[in-house]
Amino acid sequence: MKNQALRKILGRLVRAFSVSFWVMFISFTIIRLTPGDPATARLGVEAGKAATDALRKQLKLDVNPIQQFFSYTNGLFHGDLGISLQTGRPVLDIVKSTLPVTLTLILLSTAAAVIISIPIGTYIGWSGKSSSVYAFRTLTSIILATPNFFIAMIGILFFSVRVNWAPVFGYTPQFPGNLKYLWLPVAVNTLIMTAVVSRVLSSSVLETKGEEFVETGIIRGVGRIRFFWFYILKPSLAPTVVLLSYMMGTMLGATVILETIFTLPGIGREMIGAVLTSDYPVVQGILLFFGFITVALSFTGDLIAFWLDRRVKI
Amino acid sequence: MNELTRKQRFKNWLALPGGWGILIGTIMFAAIVIMGIVIPLFGPFKPNAFVGDPSVAPSFKHPFGLDQLGRDVMSRTFASVWIDIGVSFFGVTIPLIIGTIIGILLGVTKIKIIRSVVSSIIDGINAFPLLVVAVAMLAFFGAGLKSVIIILSITNWARYARIARTRAVVVSQQNYIEAARTLGYSKSRIVIKHIAPNVSAESVAYALSDFIIVITVISGLSFLGLAARPPAAEWGSMIADGRAYLANGWWMVIFPGLALCWAAISLSFIVEGMSRRDRGNS
Amino acid sequence: MTSNSLVSINELKIDVRITKSLRLKIVDSATFDVERGQILGLIGESGSGKTMLCRSLVGTLGRRGAYIAGGDLVFDGIDLITAKPSDWRDIRGKRIGYVPQSALAGPNPVMTIGAQLAEAIEQSENHDKDYIRKRSLELLEIVQIRRPEIVLKQYPYDLSGGMKQRVMIACAIAQQPSLIVADEPTTGLDVTVQAEIMDLLKRIRSEFSTSIILVSHDLPLINDVCDDIVVMHAGATVEKVSSAQVSHSLHPYTRALYSSRIDLVEPKGQLVTIKGQPPTVGQWPSGCRFADRCDFVVDSCRSASTVPLVSVAQDHMTACLRFDQIGK
Ligand SMILES: Nc1ncnc2c1ncn2[C@@H]1O[C@H](COP(=O)(O)OP(=O)(O)O)[C@@H](O)[C@H]1O
Ligand SMILES: [Mg+2]
Repeated sequence: MKNQALRKILGRLVRAFSVSFWVMFISFTIIRLTPGDPATARLGVEAGKAATDALRKQLKLDVNPIQQFFSYTNGLFHGDLGISLQTGRPVLDIVKSTLPVTLTLILLSTAAAVIISIPIGTYIGWSGKSSSVYAFRTLTSIILATPNFFIAMIGILFFSVRVNWAPVFGYTPQFPGNLKYLWLPVAVNTLIMTAVVSRVLSSSVLETKGEEFVETGIIRGVGRIRFFWFYILKPSLAPTVVLLSYMMGTMLGATVILETIFTLPGIGREMIGAVLTSDYPVVQGILLFFGFITVALSFTGDLIAFWLDRRVKI
Repeated sequence: MNELTRKQRFKNWLALPGGWGILIGTIMFAAIVIMGIVIPLFGPFKPNAFVGDPSVAPSFKHPFGLDQLGRDVMSRTFASVWIDIGVSFFGVTIPLIIGTIIGILLGVTKIKIIRSVVSSIIDGINAFPLLVVAVAMLAFFGAGLKSVIIILSITNWARYARIARTRAVVVSQQNYIEAARTLGYSKSRIVIKHIAPNVSAESVAYALSDFIIVITVISGLSFLGLAARPPAAEWGSMIADGRAYLANGWWMVIFPGLALCWAAISLSFIVEGMSRRDRGNS
Repeated sequence: MTSNSLVSINELKIDVRITKSLRLKIVDSATFDVERGQILGLIGESGSGKTMLCRSLVGTLGRRGAYIAGGDLVFDGIDLITAKPSDWRDIRGKRIGYVPQSALAGPNPVMTIGAQLAEAIEQSENHDKDYIRKRSLELLEIVQIRRPEIVLKQYPYDLSGGMKQRVMIACAIAQQPSLIVADEPTTGLDVTVQAEIMDLLKRIRSEFSTSIILVSHDLPLINDVCDDIVVMHAGATVEKVSSAQVSHSLHPYTRALYSSRIDLVEPKGQLVTIKGQPPTVGQWPSGCRFADRCDFVVDSCRSASTVPLVSVAQDHMTACLRFDQIGK
């Protein structure tokens, strides 16, 4: 029933919010993992009490933890994620300026992976020939076991060192120009995502193929396109969508490596920079964003999967 | 006679779904572990010794070539096995044990508040991509391999806990557990003797595929300069070092990379074989 | 064969391609006719080839690597063995309605009931929306689904097993075919729902004078509904008998199938199950394939090269060498 579906979606929304709370809590607590005192850890013992006290105050570590958490969440709701210790820029500004590059990278890879995976996955699954399924699964498991930075290195070896098709340094934010810098990292991500997505899609298509309702579609003489969508792809798509949203999160995480390799001014490289300079507020702020984006992705993925196929448990 | 039946039994085992995958994966994995022991112990060059000119291409004497500082890439590649596979081993087993225990307790506990709070903490931790949360924590812990193991222990347990919890709930509702309960066996006895063995089978199976993820994370962190630090021989950091010399020293990147892939692929063959065996198709 | 039968099946053989050179015989001598307006029960244990036989009637054997290896298969004067895709388009749905095996997996899980009915109603004619909606509601009423307006918007997930099966039947009758093939329409449903579905099929026959091939492994359940019963064992028709005469069957297998239920409803009686397993598909022994499980077996049952289906009375054929000993 409509109501039942609505209740499920609301339940999932509540879960997304409760996970977001913990994401916030973890981002807040993480600074407390520092052995000893964060201010001293950053400035060194020789810095003197005045300087460490000032930093502690700037990091809002000078009050009790409950008050700290309160002012932290309060700040969040007003868009205040703190100030970079290194540059003095507000963390939110840093996120705003770096996130677009990362999102472009992820979205382009996702789009490419989906476009490539659908024909491959359905073909392998629908043909169902055990020899080609076997070869396909072996090939994809090899791709999946290969770390992205090694794939990137091989890509650079061929496309930047041998022929200068993919510059490893520099970036322009404008649309067609940025593709010159983005295509190789996008290709690396796409390769990995395609392996995962087409693999899952092919096994769900294989499963769908054996279902009784497919017989019904053939018998009704449903048109080709309609048959492909309603009888092959749509019933097989839900697990793929769930996985895709999860993979987008993982790929987001992997940008910390990929953006560093290709010197892209995205949020991942920003984070590595902040880690190397102990820029605590920036690390916390970016971590929080990574968490929120992942939660939003998995919520969206579940919702789309449920919209496609009511059998999905969300 | 006995010999024959054993051979026959092996053949039968191999013929089952995924048999070849498990066999090849195991041989590949054993091979790299053995090389990781043999080459550093008995090889002619020490991994950190300067044994020739910088950036010398592969030759008969140095099959993998020499790196930018004139160290033998082959010795370094196999010396890395200790760090990559050894550290990953701890990075997997510690979360496996912690997570499985927490998950089982969560699955059998009757205290609702604990169940829901811990469960949502687990969801919260799992919300972050593993690599990101590891990188972030390293900012506070300070870089290094020891930090990486600690970080994996405090984050990765959540994935195991989720698997163990789900499984424990299923197992504890099974008939024989109910029977044991009505027979008046103590709760701890039921958990230890019946639930734990059942749950851990599944967790161990997941650990194998997690091994691949953890190797990738550790080498990735080292690649970023956050885990193993120079001059330690480690695949990720060797690749990072060789990066600048890619134009005329491809061997500095390719060989450690291939070794890393070899290890991960061998594990993934085993995982793939086992899952085929579970599904029971060929 | 009788020329005015709706379906006429003679010595039909169905093989499956396992590898390039290996073939597996799944059905190797199916022989029976379906008269117009008749409900014919097709009975046999699981694995006896019933579903394959049904699929041959709608031309979907090829999907699973199976094909017709011999015999005759004629529907309403059309030779289905040589039917072309364009012939199939005219037959499927329009002249033969199909209710696939397993009620729970029958409807497409990602389409609303309304969309599936619409597909079943229109194939080439472009009816307008209103007509399709009206016809859909009508069909749902025929299969006795309450609150059809709501059901149209629902997904199979929201329906019970019995409801799903009714929807499948509604789809099958949408274009008023002259034959409905219903493959185990009640398997997996509650006993009361099973009886309701049986009633429904009976009503559809009497209202639209549709012929129905009703497949089941539960002879006592369908016996009341059917006019004739055809019994399959190990890929072959072993008996064809009118439902009224089933209790006087002249084949030991049919008798065993019939009595197994009677004892179930009489708790005091001894449960009669058919002993042993049917022979493995395609590895049938020569002679009578039921010999190993039969109480009446004699040496000649095994040594005979084939056991022919012979006429023993009007509308009664049996494939038992010792039929004259049975029932005495
Ligand atoms: N594609 C196939 N390949 C091999 N064997 C098959 C295939 N399809 C069906 N069979 C076998 O054919 C036999 C008859 O199947 P089926 O017609 O479904 O029997 P029933 O409907 O009477 O239970 C079964 O034993 C089944 O295992
Ligand atoms: Mg069947």
